[in-house]
Amino acid sequence: MPVIKKAESVLRKGRSGSAVNQGPDVWAKATGKAVYGTDLHFPGMLYGKVLRSPHPHARIKGIDTAGAYAVPGVRSVLTAGDIRNKSYGIVVEDEQPLAHNRVRYIGDEVAAVVAVDEDSASKALEAIKVEYEPLPAVFDPAEALLDEAVQIHDSCPGNIAWERDMERGEPERAFAGADLVVENSFSIPSVHPTYLEPIACVAVSDYMDNLTIHTALQSPDVVREIIAGALDLPLSKVRIIGPVMGGGFGGRVYGNLKLYLLSSLLSMHTGSPVKMRLTREEEFTVGRPMIAARMKVRMALRRDGTFLARESDIITDNGAYSAQAPWVSKTLSERNDSVYRIPNIKTRARLAYTNKVPTAQYRAYGNQAANFAYESLIDQAAEKLGLDPLQLRLKNCTHSGDVTVHGLDIKSCALSECLQKAAEKVGWNNRKEGCGYGISAGIHASGSLVANKDFRGASARAVLELDGRVTIYTGEQEYGQGAYGAFVQIAARTLGLEPQLLTIYCRDSLVTPHSQGALANRQTTIGGRAIQLAAEDLKILIEEAASEMTGEPVKMKGGSLAAASGKLIRFEEVARYHHHRTSGLTLTGEGRYVPPHTDYDETSYGNISVTYSFAAHAAEVEVDRETGALTVHRIVAIHDSGHIINPPGARGQIYGGVTQGLGFGCYEGYVFDRGKVANSSLADYRIPTALDVPRIDCHFIETDDPEGPFGAKGLGEVVQVPVPGAIANAVADAIGVRVTNLPITAEKIYRAMFKGECAE
Amino acid sequence: MSYTVVSNLDQAVEALAKSAGKARVVAGATDLFLGNLPSELVDISTVPDLLGINRDPDCLSVGAGVTHAGAAASPVIRLKAEALAEACREVGSPQVRNISTLGGNVVNAAPAADAAVALVALGAKAVLLDLSGGHREVAVEDLYANYNLSVVDSSSEILLRFLLAPAVRGEGSAFLRFAPREALSLPLVNAAARVRLKGNTIEAIRAVIAPVSPAPTRLNETEKLLLGSKPGQDTWRRVEYTAAAEVDVRGSMLRCSAEYRHHLVGVLARRVIRKALERALDSKEGGDGR
Repeated sequence: MPVIKKAESVLRKGRSGSAVNQGPDVWAKATGKAVYGTDLHFPGMLYGKVLRSPHPHARIKGIDTAGAYAVPGVRSVLTAGDIRNKSYGIVVEDEQPLAHNRVRYIGDEVAAVVAVDEDSASKALEAIKVEYEPLPAVFDPAEALLDEAVQIHDSCPGNIAWERDMERGEPERAFAGADLVVENSFSIPSVHPTYLEPIACVAVSDYMDNLTIHTALQSPDVVREIIAGALDLPLSKVRIIGPVMGGGFGGRVYGNLKLYLLSSLLSMHTGSPVKMRLTREEEFTVGRPMIAARMKVRMALRRDGTFLARESDIITDNGAYSAQAPWVSKTLSERNDSVYRIPNIKTRARLAYTNKVPTAQYRAYGNQAANFAYESLIDQAAEKLGLDPLQLRLKNCTHSGDVTVHGLDIKSCALSECLQKAAEKVGWNNRKEGCGYGISAGIHASGSLVANKDFRGASARAVLELDGRVTIYTGEQEYGQGAYGAFVQIAARTLGLEPQLLTIYCRDSLVTPHSQGALANRQTTIGGRAIQLAAEDLKILIEEAASEMTGEPVKMKGGSLAAASGKLIRFEEVARYHHHRTSGLTLTGEGRYVPPHTDYDETSYGNISVTYSFAAHAAEVEVDRETGALTVHRIVAIHDSGHIINPPGARGQIYGGVTQGLGFGCYEGYVFDRGKVANSSLADYRIPTALDVPRIDCHFIETDDPEGPFGAKGLGEVVQVPVPGAIANAVADAIGVRVTNLPITAEKIYRAMFKGECAE
Repeated sequence: MSYTVVSNLDQAVEALAKSAGKARVVAGATDLFLGNLPSELVDISTVPDLLGINRDPDCLSVGAGVTHAGAAASPVIRLKAEALAEACREVGSPQVRNISTLGGNVVNAAPAADAAVALVALGAKAVLLDLSGGHREVAVEDLYANYNLSVVDSSSEILLRFLLAPAVRGEGSAFLRFAPREALSLPLVNAAARVRLKGNTIEAIRAVIAPVSPAPTRLNETEKLLLGSKPGQDTWRRVEYTAAAEVDVRGSMLRCSAEYRHHLVGVLARRVIRKALERALDSKEGGDGR
């Protein structure tokens, strides 16, 4: 196949022939050889399916599973009464593997069936009889917070899953003394991460009571603990092995815990491997989209444009169960306060239960949702004050050395340069006739504290194998973002070896170091730093062993080992020398990176992250003045992610993230019809196609961060943050009125222009 | 399930006759898996009789098995039935266009099928073959029994080709669609028009809009307004208003409101008629024999 060989060589070498590091599994993915969860097959494997509630809220009066057992090929049927059904949760323990007495949304898991194939399992589902007593349901999060609202969880009175009242400085005084106060209300729908591969898993419970779950996760080590806890298994008996991950975008941090738990229970009951996978429709109806948000925001300014204070009243829509929604709500409600110097903040945020699909997280963690609201409001203020939106931002933006209103310690920040560069590149002062221009600025934590304040860093091992190659053991996760490519580069650079001599071993909780996983922009910054330290450690160990072996000082440099006498030593020799001397151990460098100074107090004040990435995006758009049709011509994305380790990979992050930001801003969003997801297919839940993607100009302003490996900071999430706000501001610039609810569709623009709807 | 690939029309007729109503004709099969699968399928996509694009002075014949990509790339169709080429360029995605056929697009009877809208505007007739070897010709707009339901019974009839009058000098056609995204998206509104001029007067016009009823819908009032007129600046507001007023539209929570769709019908009708008219004017001046 000469064509493929040629393509392979181009892909591997890069067009110019220079070494481009796309990560170890790029070629396997491009040729279809990569093995994903849905491809897995084990001898004797059975297939599981879930019976789901057709009601948004109902009492279960009885379940009759006899019919299901009569279907040929069915091996087991489980209901809540058949299992221990322990409560579990990530922040709030509000879920059980199967609904017990009550269902809380359309899709709630009522029974699980396992059979010899998926068709038999589906037939069995139809044969299960469930008697429901429908209960009143609540779908609107603001209504759910009213006193008279139906209560969804007895343990969470008032339907509040999480809430927060926060005040910094003296906001009331600042508002009273302001020259200008602007305000508006914004709404952002739930969005799905829409990874290409629907979630799939195979659970294998063996005769020694070990449970191995084969599934691709961003945070397998954290999920492993939740599963062991929910199933009452010793942690050491639970293992997670990851196939290749078909995208994650935050949606696979904890994936679909229900699916893992049910497949495990079915495997434990039958003694056979059990495969379960979500259909695309199930991804939308029972997968975990990001919370929807409504934001009422006010801002106080001095006449010269100085930001004085901001006040926000935020309601986020949790759906029926909580997962990470409290954490997402927290980031949504505070992260944007650190983009600018705003000394006084008042925020009330409430996460309300509703009888809708449960939520979780998505790339950028709600930061992009709030950014849309706050950046829109800044443009409103600029207009009122007669100031250039760019100058207003430059006047107030955060700089290196700042400690922000929430205590974030900003050690490196090129936001001001990003803003200026974005404006210059988009033609801010040299505008095309008929186009609208908008700009937006964002921050995202890189390596933030997540679930556990005491587990802040990462660890890694670097092993010199007997053949002279080096294997890096990491618990961090590759899901297409290029983490492993960057890791290879970091280790290769530290050891002075060619990247081809390095292998990454990963995705096996029994072997790889425990990690918090691929989230919080931490892979390169934190995981990469641990790999750098492990490689440094290995280098010292190799030099020591080689010196001992030869009896003279040996240095490792430029990919070779040279003794003081000039004699060259092969890596295999040193590896074998150590191996024999220790009766079988390998030279193993250990890297443990514990970031300094990350903590927060009970009001959440503190330096919550190792470092912070910044970005400014500018949009050039055109609006059809008759139909409202929006064409986004260009997004200019300027990023401060510190030193860029892998430039092609980093640009890829920007292209993908900006495209998703465009989807978030202009295309996507759940539509509900009395609690039922109305757009549960990729035909109706529209993400941008290749033809919808504008020209994306990206550029890096490289700061030298003191913490990240070689000065690197995270990039994967901040890329999406400024996009919806930049587009919203460009649309407002083009048509003179503002669309305040996402997505910004042609019809909404038309209504804003001609009907005065959604306008300020 | 049985799947029979036939290589000529005799085999196709024989296979359908043998199945006695159980088999269905299939070509591109792009929508086949969206519904319940029939137990027997007869694949006619490689029958040579269905693949030709032939031009006589008075008649352009386009085989029902011609793919959307094939029609969009055909120099004859681009020159003589420009609206059809434009519509075919907009269907689905490249992968879909490479296998989906014009015949399938019409018999599938989706109310917003782009090629069907263009075919109706161009005044195309469908030629159908029944199992006894008889032929009948039916105007494309008369092939619709209801939403997503064709009068063509594909267990006993085969759509062979479309016949239409090629564009002459002083004539132009155009197609436009308005959709929420650039590919793989059903249009909120699509529109096509064919206009023939005598001097500067509109001598013939067909203007079509969808999806406003089961079939692509002629804008009769708008056509009446323009027929025999010399359109000037003041005409176009009235065209927009008349077109919007003469159709009944529905709104949906996933697409758009009825009010917005009404507005779009007016705007697209005006734009597509103007575009066809401009092409008609160009063809007069061009003198290239069109």
